[in-house]
Amino acid sequence: MIVMGIIPFILLISMMVFIFGPGSYLLDLGVALPEITIEKIDFIKSEIQVTVRNTGPIPVEVVMADVNDRIQPAAIEPDRFLERFETALVRIPFEWNTAEPYIIGLTVEDGTRFERAIEAAAPALTPNLEFVGFFAIIGTYVGIIPVMIGLLWLPFIKKLSKAKYHFFLALTVGLLLFLGIDSIEEAFDVSVENLSGSFNGTLLIATTIVLSFLGLYYTSEKLTSKADSLKISKPIAIGLMIAIGIGLHNFGEGLAIGSAIGLGSIAFSSFLIVGFALHNTTEGLAIAAPLSREKKVIKKLLALGLIAGTPAIFGAWVGGFAFSPFSSVIFISIGAGAIFQVIVIILKWIRTEGDKNLSSAAVASGIAIGMLIMYLTSMLI
Amino acid sequence: MVLILLVIFGISAVFVFPTISEAASEEKIFVTHSGGVIKTTGEIIDPVYVASTMEFDPMKYLREFNYGDVSELPDGTVMREFTIIAEDDKILEVSPGVFYNVWTFNGTVPGPTIRVTEGDLVKINFINNGSKEHTMHFHGIHPAEMDGVFEIVGSDGGRFTYEFEAGPVGVHPYHCHVMPLEEHIVHGLYGVFIVDPKEAREPADEMVMVLNGLDTDFDTENNFYAANTIPFYYQHHPIQIITNELIRVYVVNMVEFDPINNLHLHGNLYHYYPTGTDTVPSFYTDMITLSQTERGIMEFEYTYPGKYLFHAHKVEFSEKGWVGIFLVKDDLTQESQTELEYGN
Repeated sequence: MIVMGIIPFILLISMMVFIFGPGSYLLDLGVALPEITIEKIDFIKSEIQVTVRNTGPIPVEVVMADVNDRIQPAAIEPDRFLERFETALVRIPFEWNTAEPYIIGLTVEDGTRFERAIEAAAPALTPNLEFVGFFAIIGTYVGIIPVMIGLLWLPFIKKLSKAKYHFFLALTVGLLLFLGIDSIEEAFDVSVENLSGSFNGTLLIATTIVLSFLGLYYTSEKLTSKADSLKISKPIAIGLMIAIGIGLHNFGEGLAIGSAIGLGSIAFSSFLIVGFALHNTTEGLAIAAPLSREKKVIKKLLALGLIAGTPAIFGAWVGGFAFSPFSSVIFISIGAGAIFQVIVIILKWIRTEGDKNLSSAAVASGIAIGMLIMYLTSMLI
Repeated sequence: MVLILLVIFGISAVFVFPTISEAASEEKIFVTHSGGVIKTTGEIIDPVYVASTMEFDPMKYLREFNYGDVSELPDGTVMREFTIIAEDDKILEVSPGVFYNVWTFNGTVPGPTIRVTEGDLVKINFINNGSKEHTMHFHGIHPAEMDGVFEIVGSDGGRFTYEFEAGPVGVHPYHCHVMPLEEHIVHGLYGVFIVDPKEAREPADEMVMVLNGLDTDFDTENNFYAANTIPFYYQHHPIQIITNELIRVYVVNMVEFDPINNLHLHGNLYHYYPTGTDTVPSFYTDMITLSQTERGIMEFEYTYPGKYLFHAHKVEFSEKGWVGIFLVKDDLTQESQTELEYGN
């Protein structure tokens, strides 16, 4: 039996060896062009540091650096030879000026020049205590406080009739649907701007979202089915999964804010902070809604709020101090998958609660109004 | 779930974090023009201040004049015969680590400097060993059929003999004139043609500078500029001259894509003879502007010893390689100082 399972693999490997192996001329046509991608540019004292990756199909040699298309002496660490996907750090001694735009170029051995523009040079952040604290405060403003404020809607939702309650649950679905789409868009933006084609950005995002969704969905099913034996009620289990999903999403938001500050777009990031804070108040509502039929939930609610909000702080740290486009795309996509998982949970909850009906006026209007609210608040970002 | 996340983090960690070198080499130090010091465990990639040796030697080209095989015709006319071979398959290291496909006359860019006297009969045995059609088109006065425009010379051994009387006096370019012309020129099919007056010019330390550019990524913008092809070469290897000796530079601008080029000399001014056709200088200046194939003769002497820059005052060009140094000495036998220290 096992042999039967292995035979196709052996045939496949033989074919690969035949096509790509030594002495094969079958695919020896066309010209492979070198390609490198400048992933990151840091401005430190009297020096510009450039992280470059070989994103082409063949090994390359980085032989020259320039600033604003003027050749500059530079050092490259560990060395100038880059295998596929290998990165190197190019260090260019340069007395740069704050807030001025720069274009950094690198030339490879066949004379092809690759460049990347920076809108405004700003000193790279170093992870000292001051900035760690600063990002923690921002993360709190963006993540924890708005979610907590959102939770205050709980007493209001508690007193609602069933139809109105379903409306609010559906409203959170609308809010989250918008957030999910928003995250996907964000992931595409980062991917298009920073990742080279060799990473298959679109499929990377799709794959990560699906994996994230499946992983969380499986966990949540296990959690809710075992809710009784874990001595938590089903609504709490749902609330917990929503909080985890939103937490993963908020990590992505923290990432966006941290990297915006790290890249020097301070004004842009203060808009981000205000926008996300308003946005995230609605997330508190999403967590509160399923818990509204429970009693004595204050402590649990606080815990869920923290689960949902705190990741924004970690996101801000990572984004500010260790920004990498590849990991950003991954994290944002995980967040998007988490959001969709939350949507499915809430819809199932409404369906169970609402006599197996998802097409009531309350649900439809709730989702629609949720999307609209998010669209309006998103214009602030 | 945890497993999936672990796998994802594992994969991203591989991609995200720069590969760490197996062999952490010792620290190297380099100093920039303004005195900045960088220590690195990696490699220094610096075509600007680090001297390097290339296959093409601009120092040899600078003062190399080819007078041809000389014979005398029955009527007393001097005939100078040259053999020029065109090729287009050579890959030349034009700047440290940068390899570019040059098209050459006799294997170099620029091609050999052809030097004759006014009234000589110039005979060029042209052989095209390239894979494309090429010609030689001389600037100057000659019959139409010797103009190298309509008489296309076929590839892989095609031949043509150019024969004309040398004139007028001056410095002229020659270049391939096959379409697309810009492509044939920017790949390097050009050189300098000097016609001396019958009554020789005053003796001098003579040199040829072809101002050229290299578009190594074919985006119709030059990636490098130079005097005699190799960027920064005369900055690493200063041209040694002596005080109070007449220096004569035959300068030809072959830069494409950019409408102008120019030449600024430090600590001095020069007499400039546009196209070299007149015996009286037109300007006494330290700055001339040259359009495509515009050329002339510069004459000057230095009074004070030391290092003097010459470069394009279109500074973009000088920062991409068109910059050099005259090292003026009282006496060439004094200890040579070819390694220049920057930042002091």
